[in-house]
Amino acid sequence: MKQILLITDGCSNVGMSPIVAAAHAKSEGIAVNVVGVVDHGELGEYGASEIHEIARAGGGLSRLVQAKELAQTVQMMTRKTVVQTIQLAVQRELQSVLGNDSIEALPPEKRGEVVKVMDELTETSGLQVALLIDASASMRPKLASVEEAIHDLMLSLQARAGKSEIAVFHFPGSKQEDCVLSLDWTTHLKGVPSIFPKLHMSGTTPTGPALMKVVEHFIESSSQRKEMDGMIGDDVI
Amino acid sequence: MTTSFKLPLKKGSVIVGKWKHGHYRVERLLGEGANGKVILVSKDWQWYALKIGQDAVDLQSEINALKALASTSMARDSYLKDVDDWVTPQGKELPFYTMRYVKGLDMSAYLTQHGEDWFPLLGLNLLRSLGELHQAGWIFGDLKLENIIVGQYGDVELIDFGGATQIGKGVKQFTEIYDRGYWNCGSRTADAQYDLFSFAVLCLQLFAPRKLHQLSKELLPQNRSIEELMELAKETPQLAPYLKWLEQAFSGSFKHGKEAASAWRMLAHQRRSLAKSKKTPRWLKVMIAISLISLGISASLYVLDYAGLLK
Repeated sequence: MKQILLITDGCSNVGMSPIVAAAHAKSEGIAVNVVGVVDHGELGEYGASEIHEIARAGGGLSRLVQAKELAQTVQMMTRKTVVQTIQLAVQRELQSVLGNDSIEALPPEKRGEVVKVMDELTETSGLQVALLIDASASMRPKLASVEEAIHDLMLSLQARAGKSEIAVFHFPGSKQEDCVLSLDWTTHLKGVPSIFPKLHMSGTTPTGPALMKVVEHFIESSSQRKEMDGMIGDDVI
Repeated sequence: MTTSFKLPLKKGSVIVGKWKHGHYRVERLLGEGANGKVILVSKDWQWYALKIGQDAVDLQSEINALKALASTSMARDSYLKDVDDWVTPQGKELPFYTMRYVKGLDMSAYLTQHGEDWFPLLGLNLLRSLGELHQAGWIFGDLKLENIIVGQYGDVELIDFGGATQIGKGVKQFTEIYDRGYWNCGSRTADAQYDLFSFAVLCLQLFAPRKLHQLSKELLPQNRSIEELMELAKETPQLAPYLKWLEQAFSGSFKHGKEAASAWRMLAHQRRSLAKSKKTPRWLKVMIAISLISLGISASLYVLDYAGLLK
């Protein structure tokens, strides 16, 4: 399962629309979740609706929260999205087998059996979460909370039975790049002292192009994996 | 994420099960958990707590946990009564289940009303319930003040099994301040020690709620630690007899709920006998001192006498 989690506090203002980019992600089988940090209310109505739109296009969830609620929110959203992804897959199966369109249509006993299988899958399937962090100037005071949330997420993911990996990106980069990889796929944060060392923060918010970069990274790393798998087997990765 | 949703529920309205056709009369709202609302209902002159959710999968997952527990030793009086769906007048289908209704107070209110003397017993009863769960291969997960009801004479009942998780899996639902991971004291993998950690935080929550809240607010995430929690425990006079026990619970050194319960029990009883035996040594010491002195006097007299005799 693949997810992107975007944490931002404002509207995109450069490049392609983030809603289009999120739809691209969805077509690649990547769910896009969005958290809007609203500490000083600079998000505005337009920003809030953009956040909800991005998540809708990306088949994920959106929430507007205070910086201090970030850890709890990020952790819950990721879990919720895993459940939803599995629910969708199970629903598709049910439809082809039984002609039922939803789990709710099953009588409680049967539902119990189906949910047992879903819970098992939720625990055991592999999961990749790419965090995309808005590092524009207004986010600076919130980055400590963002780091805490990332550590907290890792802790929750490590408790899963299935393999869980995270990667962290931030945008924009100091040299006008749309998006910079701060931490590549990893299963732990041991020995990572700080995810965002000395960021050069600029004013632009190229959310759309940054999202596209992350989608491309997903595609690249999965094709690399396939090559590697062919060569040495998967436990090396 | 608390799912908040409006329900057309007034006192006297009736919830009818779609599959089994049970009729439940609504009395009042009891509370709100992460997965839904809990309502007090009546059916055939009997009270029940009815939990109604919005998400069939989330609620079903909770029901599965309850069913698994019902087939183990926890089934003194089956907790889970009925599982069904309700079609609201607006045509929305909402899943629900009913449970035994336990009338009572939360621990904090109970101690205020009945006195802190009850604390050791409440703790013991709670630890025993947790121990039974652990033996069945489950943990409660989201142990907190809101999820415990104290009935008559210190009877403790766990409610809201939304966080119940099989040992070895990732804890399903938790509350930050009670969470081992939040305090940098270990993983979020379900094990007996996870519940015992939350129990220890619960003790602080009972006697120093404000200081605990402040501590979690003021400390930097990386500085949350056992030491900070223990520091707070040491400042709390009611917890003085339990300091060693708390340290063991925080550091995860009890093997399972049962061991923790028996250690707690020892303390609860020892404390009473210690309080008694503390008085005894005082007069005993005096007696011993007197007898020692008189022995000394008689011995020296004897020696003197002996020496005199020698002369």
